[in-house]
Amino acid sequence: MAPSRGPQPIPRDLHVVLNNHKGPVNVARYAKGSAKYILTGGQDRTVRLWNANLGTEIKTFAGHGYEVLSVTVAHDNAKFASSGGDRSVFVWDVATGQTIRRLSGHLGKIHAVEFNEDASVVASGSYDSTTRQSIQTLEEARDAVQTLYVGSTYLISGSVDGHVRTYDLRKGELRSDFIGNPVTAVIPTQDSTTYLATSLDNHVRLMDMATGKMLNDFTGHANESYRCRACFSYGEAGVLCGDEKGLIWAWDLLDGKVMPPNPPPKAHHKVITWTEHHPIDAGEFITCSADGTAKVWKASTDQD
Amino acid sequence: MTSRLKRKLGDMGVDLTSRKATENFCLIGTPLPPLEKTKDTGEFVPLWKQEVRDERGRRRLHGAFTGGFSAGYFNTVGSKEGWTPSTFVSSRSDRAKQVAAKPEDFMDEEDLRELNENRTLVSTAEPDSTGSSSQPAGNMGLDNDPIATALASAQHKDSPGMKILKKMGWRPGQGIGTRVSLAERKRQDAQAFDPYTGVKSTESALDVGSDDEEASKHKYPRRDTPILSVSRKNKGYGLGYTPGLTLNESIGAESGQKGASGPKISAGFGLGALNDADEDDVDIYDSTAASKTRIAFDHLDHDQDDTIVIGKGKGRQSNKPQGAKDPAQVFYDGTPVLPGFTLSDQPVQEDKWFPGPEVPPGWEPDPRKVWNASPSKEKPQPPAAPSGGRPQISAAERGTILGEESKTRSIFEFMSEKDRERIKRIAAGDVPPAPGAPAPLPPSSFTMPQVEPHIARAALQGFQPFTTDPAKQARYTAFLHSQADSNAPPLTPLPGQEPEKFHKEVEDYAKAAILFKPISGAMAGRFTSAVVLDVGPKVQEGLHKPTEEDYAKQEEEKRAEEERNVPPKVHAARMGMYGPMTRETQPWQPAKLLCKRFGVKEPDLPAGADATAGESSSFSGMSFEKEAAEVAAGAPGTFHAPTGAPSTSSVGASSSNGPRKLENIGMGEDETQGADILTYERPSMDIFKAIFASDEEDSDDEGGNKDDEEQDDRDGEVGQTKSIMKQLKLQDTGPVDLATFKPTFIPREGKAKANGDDQRAKEKKEKKEKKKKEKKAGLVSFQLEEDGEPNLGNPTRDKDRPKKKRKDKEKKREEDNDAGMFVDPSPEQVKAPKASDITPVVEMSAHVEAPRVPGPKGRKRAIDFLDE
Repeated sequence: MAPSRGPQPIPRDLHVVLNNHKGPVNVARYAKGSAKYILTGGQDRTVRLWNANLGTEIKTFAGHGYEVLSVTVAHDNAKFASSGGDRSVFVWDVATGQTIRRLSGHLGKIHAVEFNEDASVVASGSYDSTTRQSIQTLEEARDAVQTLYVGSTYLISGSVDGHVRTYDLRKGELRSDFIGNPVTAVIPTQDSTTYLATSLDNHVRLMDMATGKMLNDFTGHANESYRCRACFSYGEAGVLCGDEKGLIWAWDLLDGKVMPPNPPPKAHHKVITWTEHHPIDAGEFITCSADGTAKVWKASTDQD
Repeated sequence: MTSRLKRKLGDMGVDLTSRKATENFCLIGTPLPPLEKTKDTGEFVPLWKQEVRDERGRRRLHGAFTGGFSAGYFNTVGSKEGWTPSTFVSSRSDRAKQVAAKPEDFMDEEDLRELNENRTLVSTAEPDSTGSSSQPAGNMGLDNDPIATALASAQHKDSPGMKILKKMGWRPGQGIGTRVSLAERKRQDAQAFDPYTGVKSTESALDVGSDDEEASKHKYPRRDTPILSVSRKNKGYGLGYTPGLTLNESIGAESGQKGASGPKISAGFGLGALNDADEDDVDIYDSTAASKTRIAFDHLDHDQDDTIVIGKGKGRQSNKPQGAKDPAQVFYDGTPVLPGFTLSDQPVQEDKWFPGPEVPPGWEPDPRKVWNASPSKEKPQPPAAPSGGRPQISAAERGTILGEESKTRSIFEFMSEKDRERIKRIAAGDVPPAPGAPAPLPPSSFTMPQVEPHIARAALQGFQPFTTDPAKQARYTAFLHSQADSNAPPLTPLPGQEPEKFHKEVEDYAKAAILFKPISGAMAGRFTSAVVLDVGPKVQEGLHKPTEEDYAKQEEEKRAEEERNVPPKVHAARMGMYGPMTRETQPWQPAKLLCKRFGVKEPDLPAGADATAGESSSFSGMSFEKEAAEVAAGAPGTFHAPTGAPSTSSVGASSSNGPRKLENIGMGEDETQGADILTYERPSMDIFKAIFASDEEDSDDEGGNKDDEEQDDRDGEVGQTKSIMKQLKLQDTGPVDLATFKPTFIPREGKAKANGDDQRAKEKKEKKEKKKKEKKAGLVSFQLEEDGEPNLGNPTRDKDRPKKKRKDKEKKREEDNDAGMFVDPSPEQVKAPKASDITPVVEMSAHVEAPRVPGPKGRKRAIDFLDE
């Protein structure tokens, strides 16, 4: 999977700026499939659908009463779910722009919402420190659940209490790894053997899922108070993370070194809240920031 | 009771006179109703039993289907006329009678009541005309029309007093009283002032020229005295305070706009990026006006006119009701009024100061007089009071002054001569002086309080009252010493200490000494004086201000404490030692539906055992075995085989300790399971050739001389277990000559040995060598081959091969040996003696088995036995 010549350089060329949001953009997700579209959710209570290539806004989904903190797209791109300050998960129909369903039940802000692979289950993690699926409530977390990942047979949650909890459905087992600091993002690799945990101590850690050991540690960036989601770069060869100063950091996954340029150039004025790499295209990723913009970065054609 | 009954009862032995027998069951009259209703009105009634009734006791609220409001006619949907709809009647003929229906016609009484309530009442009566003296009467739009005014005023409802006054000739706007002359009236006008402001008012002054002669001939009504209506002060706040002002506003800060606007949320563009998301209390969905108008509660209590606004005059008051917010207010001298304050328009009443009584010219303040006047018990009166009060005159003196004859006689007069002399003698003799040498009086006017020396000495040893103040304590002891020992220097006032203070101090000491002296005498031994132990924390006076060091120390302690309390996992995480230290696993039961949605089989957690403890050696969980089966989907038979006798002893033991890992899931108890498959080496081609080739060749033989094996083989194709056995057999045949395979043939060997040692000896050597050559390449360990087999496909054929080969050779032997015995063993027979040495145990049991079960089944037995 990983390219043999090591991680590719991170695309640093600004392709388009998506700046219709009125306030901080909290989340930006690629659509599934060929991922030509982007969904962003922001403090201005809207979810916006963009064309990643042209940078045009296609649709605005307004309906939230509070800020939008998390968005997840279903496998068929027909619907997506968003959540935020209004304590319920909204499931939207992309075409009509209407909420199909509003799932309430949480008592606090919902920081994370995630579909499973076939969008038959939606999981949400909230400030009330529970992970809820419409079916089951997981109450192990002692503090706000900041992030979720739903795999094929497992579910990972990262919480402010410093734990990453892996709920293994097949084994019927809960494995909780103590990271020590509030965990704001967890992303497993595709082979589900390791995961990337971002925590509020300026560290991004690559952890072994089987044993809970730390395989690699990525530092250098500043991340102590905001949720800055790190992600894998193309082919899981590297790690990408935006930090609170608006810099986009990239590390080599294997040796944990910062890829040049170090320090990276400033990409946003404010904290970068979300980084997501294009699922297919090697040279494209998206960042969104508290400065109200989301930016699509692409490798320049001559460069790569 | 009838006599018959009586008799009968008598026979039965019932006492006829007893009360029971004569009890009467007849009730006469109607019982009174219970005194009070026993029903408890406050009793709890469940919600579904509660009924709502209107004021007339009718049930008004019904179920959901009736709408929850009062239904039609007697709680039915019908009407008084019943269900019959009114028939159509043409109104063509009597259109005039038709009355347009009003909404009221369709309203029931509740609606009508509501309607009536909503009607605002407007009083049609004119305001009371007493108040209209100041305002012109033409307030009804009939200005300056005297007739209309008169007419209008006629309609006024006057109070009775007013009516009387009017009849007496009084008019509104005039003063009450006899008429006065023009001069008098003018004087009144001149003196008039506005009661509110105290400013001279010329409002209703008579405008008559003073030179008008005619005017002075008339008498004029008195000037009307305006009524000063004093507003009652019924509020708790003071001057200059405007109710409803926030603190910020009152100090002039401009906080009003921010607070009033609130979170600007509208339906269209509401809680935006700029809004503080923390305002969770804001009900963003509520758009009713009621929730947006926010009124301070205390504000509601005050009417508009209730607020005190202090300004100049009435007109101003009405113009600026919120005078406090008027920034333009200035004092008379032009300086602006401080923010938060307003100018008062009410005259400030000046405080009156009355002069005190005059001080006599020669008077000097002398506080001592006061001191001495105060009664002090310890202090003896100074012998000569310096005060210039009344001279102290004794009774005798007074008597002499008054010319009385002194009647007081000495006590000596009552004594006998003898006694008197004795007393004189005693008085002349050495009589001890009064105890306690008086301490020299300080030059000041007060006397040093005296403490008896023994008391002072005792007090020195007793409780020390001033231990908290060492300086004071030192002075106290000095004082006691001076009292106890006349030689000791007396306590002197501190430098700069005023005599009064010194006096007070010394008195305190004296009191303390008396108070705290220990009990003397016999009782003293029974008590011990308390010792003040300074164990508590050192109390520092005044505001404690911790130093830097204190902070540092505290923080260090805290850190140390935290360090101690840190759980190991936190510590490990801090050290970066992620792994087993930071990992916790626990069983977790996902919901059934969840599993279904994820397409995962529901994990079956063993009830008691902790499934997550990887240590558990026995995977009793059903699911696990099933999973194993899934993983090993290929050939189940091969997997079960190794769990048999040969492997369990060695492998089972080793596997028991291994933690369950992803890799060994599905291995059952045998960890090394499948390893053989992985390490399997393909046997050389000639083996296959031999095997498959011989199959056809030997087919003829099979018919004639049927081996047990052959039969087994066929059977084996039917059942798995048999196939396994066959596998085993096959393997046996492979390495036969190596004597690795013992049990099957051991019983035979015995026979063979017995029968023909010579034969064997020959054959042994020859065949061994042959077979070795043949099979060496293909030789795989017993176990390995077993496992390896399935990959090759049909195990039965494999087996056939070598057997048939052997068969050729064996046939001869078989003829010698029992026909029913195994076919293969011939080669083994040769080896057997050696083999038997190796596995004595097996041998033994085999011996037992063999004779019992002769014939074709003997073969099977041997293998069964192997499995054991």
